[in-house]
Amino acid sequence: MKILKRTKRSTEIAEETPIEEKILKNEKMQSIKLNAWFGDKHVLKNISLSVKANSVTAIIGPSGCGKSTLIRCFNRMHELVPNARMSGKVLLDGRNIYSREVDPVLIRRRVGMVFQKPNPFPTMSIYDNVAAGLRLTGVKKGHNLNEVVERSLKQATLWDEVKDDLKKSGTSISGGQQQRLCIARAISLKPEVILMDEPCSALDPIATAKIEELIVYLKRAYTVVIVTHNMQQAARVSDFTAFLYLGELVEYGDTRSIFEGPKNELTEKYITGKFG
Amino acid sequence: MTRLLDTGLEQLTVLVYKSGEVAKCAIDLSIKGFMEGKDETKAVRELSDFVSSMTVEIENKAFELIVKYQPVASDLRIINSYMKIAYDFERYGRYAWDISLTHKRLGALGECAVASDLMPKLVEKVSEMVSKSVKALREHDAELAKTLAETENEVDALYFAYLEQLSKARAQSKCVMCNLLVSRYLERIADHTTYVGEAIVYIASGEKLSLR
Amino acid sequence: MDNYAYRKFKNRLFFILSLACVIIAIIPLLSILFEVIIRGASQINLQFLVSVNGIGPAIQGTLILIGLTSLIGIPLGIMSGIYLSEYGNNRYASWMRTFNDLLTEFPSIVVGITVSVVVVVGLIGSFSAIAGAIALSIMLIPIVARTTEESLKLVPNSVREASMALGVYRWKTILRVVLPAGKSGLITGALLAVARIAGETAPLIMTVLGSRYFFQGLFEPMASLPITIWRSALQPSAAVQAQGWGAALVLILIVLSLNIGVRLVSRGRMRK
Repeated sequence: MKILKRTKRSTEIAEETPIEEKILKNEKMQSIKLNAWFGDKHVLKNISLSVKANSVTAIIGPSGCGKSTLIRCFNRMHELVPNARMSGKVLLDGRNIYSREVDPVLIRRRVGMVFQKPNPFPTMSIYDNVAAGLRLTGVKKGHNLNEVVERSLKQATLWDEVKDDLKKSGTSISGGQQQRLCIARAISLKPEVILMDEPCSALDPIATAKIEELIVYLKRAYTVVIVTHNMQQAARVSDFTAFLYLGELVEYGDTRSIFEGPKNELTEKYITGKFG
Repeated sequence: MTRLLDTGLEQLTVLVYKSGEVAKCAIDLSIKGFMEGKDETKAVRELSDFVSSMTVEIENKAFELIVKYQPVASDLRIINSYMKIAYDFERYGRYAWDISLTHKRLGALGECAVASDLMPKLVEKVSEMVSKSVKALREHDAELAKTLAETENEVDALYFAYLEQLSKARAQSKCVMCNLLVSRYLERIADHTTYVGEAIVYIASGEKLSLR
Repeated sequence: MDNYAYRKFKNRLFFILSLACVIIAIIPLLSILFEVIIRGASQINLQFLVSVNGIGPAIQGTLILIGLTSLIGIPLGIMSGIYLSEYGNNRYASWMRTFNDLLTEFPSIVVGITVSVVVVVGLIGSFSAIAGAIALSIMLIPIVARTTEESLKLVPNSVREASMALGVYRWKTILRVVLPAGKSGLITGALLAVARIAGETAPLIMTVLGSRYFFQGLFEPMASLPITIWRSALQPSAAVQAQGWGAALVLILIVLSLNIGVRLVSRGRMRK
C-alpha cells in the first residue's frame, strides 16, 4: 500500500490521480455520491454538491442532519473518529482527495477548518498560535514568520487589536477575538478552501457581525464553506445555499432563490420556520 | 405549528381583503352613478378615503412584520405582494373618485354615455376585471389572475376603438371630453387589476410574470 | 418548624461525624510524625548525615536510587501513558490499561523477589544498585502511565482537532501540542509517583541488599535509607536503633519535601 506520493510541491495531489468527470468551470470542490457512517448509523446519503471558487456556500439544516459531518468529509477529518467510514468521492480542483495515493494530512493544509468553539492552543501566545501552522507543518523555508503572522492577523481583522501584545496568551482574549485568532491561524497556511463549522454559535452578536464581515471579505482570496443553523446568517453571508435534511441534500441553489422562492416544499417549510 | 408570524400575517390578510372589497364597491358605485347620471360623489369619496387610510395601515403592518420576523420565501413574497396590491387598491379608489368627479364637474351626460355601445361594454369588462382581481386575491388563485391578461387585451381594444369613435363624433365637446376622461380612467383601472394579478401570481409561484 | 430543626440537626450530625472520621484518620499519621521527630531529631548532626559511620551512604544510596529509577521509569511511564491516551481507543488498549492497573497493585515483595531471581541471579550475578533501580522502576512505570494518561485526557479534544485540522501529523500534534498542554499534570504526577516509590523497602531487600560503604558501582550492593531503617530496627543495640530513627526522620523529610515542593510549584503555575 502506497503511503504517500509527493510531487515537487508537497501539497499537490499526485499527478497520477486523474481529473474526475467533466468539472464545470469555477468549481473548487465537489462531492460525488458522498456517503458517511458512524458505525452502523448512515449519516450522509448520496450527497452530490459543488462549491464554487471564491464564493461562500452555506449549509443549513436542522440539528443532526449531517452538516458537520459533511464538511468534515471535505478535509478528511471525518475518518479520525473511531468507527467512522465513508464512500464516494470528494474532488478538490477535480482530483479525488480520497484516492489511495493521497496523504490526508496534506489535504488538510489545503482545506482549512475553523470550529464552533474557538480553540486556540492554550499553551501558546497569540504570535505562536498563528505561527503554529507553519512551524508544526514544517513549511518554514523561505518564510519570514513575522510577516506571515502579521499578514494573517491583518486578514483576520485582528491585527489592530492585538499588535501591541502578541506575547499575550492565546486564551486571554475575548471569545470573538479568539475565533478570529483561529481564523488567522487557519489562513496562515494559505489554504485554498476554508471550512467553518458554525463559527459564530458561541459568540455574542457584535463578535458575530465582525466575523460575518470577515467571511465576506475572505471570499476574495479563498473559497468558504460555512455550516450554520442560523438562516438569517446564511442569507446575509452566502452566495449559495445547500439545505440538508436527515442526511440528504434536499435543495441547492443561489441564496437569493432559496430564500425568495425555494423549489422544494421541505426547504420552504424549514426556512419559514414551520418545522425544525 | 403556529408561528408568531402567522398571527400577524392573518391580520394583514384581513386588512388587504377588506381594502379590496371597499375599493370594488367604490368603483361599482361610481360607474353606476356615471351610467345612470346620478351624483354619487360624496359616497364614493368616503369609500375612496377609507381605502387610502387602509393602505397606510397595511403598509405599517407589513413593515412591522418585516422588522420583527425577517420573513423569507413565501412569507416574504406575500408581504411584498400585499404592499403592492394595497397600493393598487388605493388607485382603484382614486380612479373611482375621479370618475364620479368628472361626472360632477362636467354635468349629467346620460345621452352621451349611451351614444355608443362601446362604453357599456368597456364598463362591463372593467367591472368584471375588478371583481376577478379581488376574488383571485381572496383565494390566491394564480390561474384566475392569469386570465386577466386576456381581458386586458380586450379592454385595450375597446378603449382604442372608442377613442377612434370619439375623435370622429359630432357632439358637444363637453360630452366628448367627459367620455374620453372616463374611458381613460377605466382603462387605467384595468391596468391596475393586471398589476394585482401579477402580484398574486408572484405569491403563488415566485414567478415575475407580465400580464399586459 | 420542628421538622426544620430536626433536619438542621441531621445536617449538623452528619457533618460532625465526617469531621470526626477525618480527625481519627489523621491522628495516626500525626503521631508517627511526632514519634519519628522526637526519636530521630537527636541524631541529626552533620557527622551523622555525611559520614560513613552515620547514614551518609544510605542517603547517597537513596538519592542514587531515586535518580536511576526516575531515569528508567519516567520516560517509559510517560510513553505508555501517551499510548493509552492518544492511541488507546481499541480493545487491546483496554486490556493493557487493565493490566497496568493490576501492576500498580502488585505486592512489592513479589516484584522484589522476581527481579532478584531474574536480574540479580540471572543477569548480573550479584546484588546491585541497578537491580534495585529496575525493581523500583517496575513499580513506578504503571503509576506514571496512569497519571500521564489522566493528565492527557484532561486536555480537551478541541485542541487536538485544531492541530489535526491544520494538517499536522499525529505524532507532532501529540508532541508539540498535547504534551505541552498537559505538562503540569504530567510532571506533578510523575514526581509524586517517585516520592511514593522512594520509600519502598521490600523490593530493595533482595536486589540491593545494602552496604555500609559509599557507592561502589552500579553492579555492587548499595546502602539505602529504607534498608538501614529496617536493619537498625532489628538490632538489639539501642544506639543502632537510634540511628534507625534518625534515618527514618531523614527519609520522611525527603519524601515530604518532594511532595510539598511539587504541590507548591504546581499551585504557583495554576495561579499564573
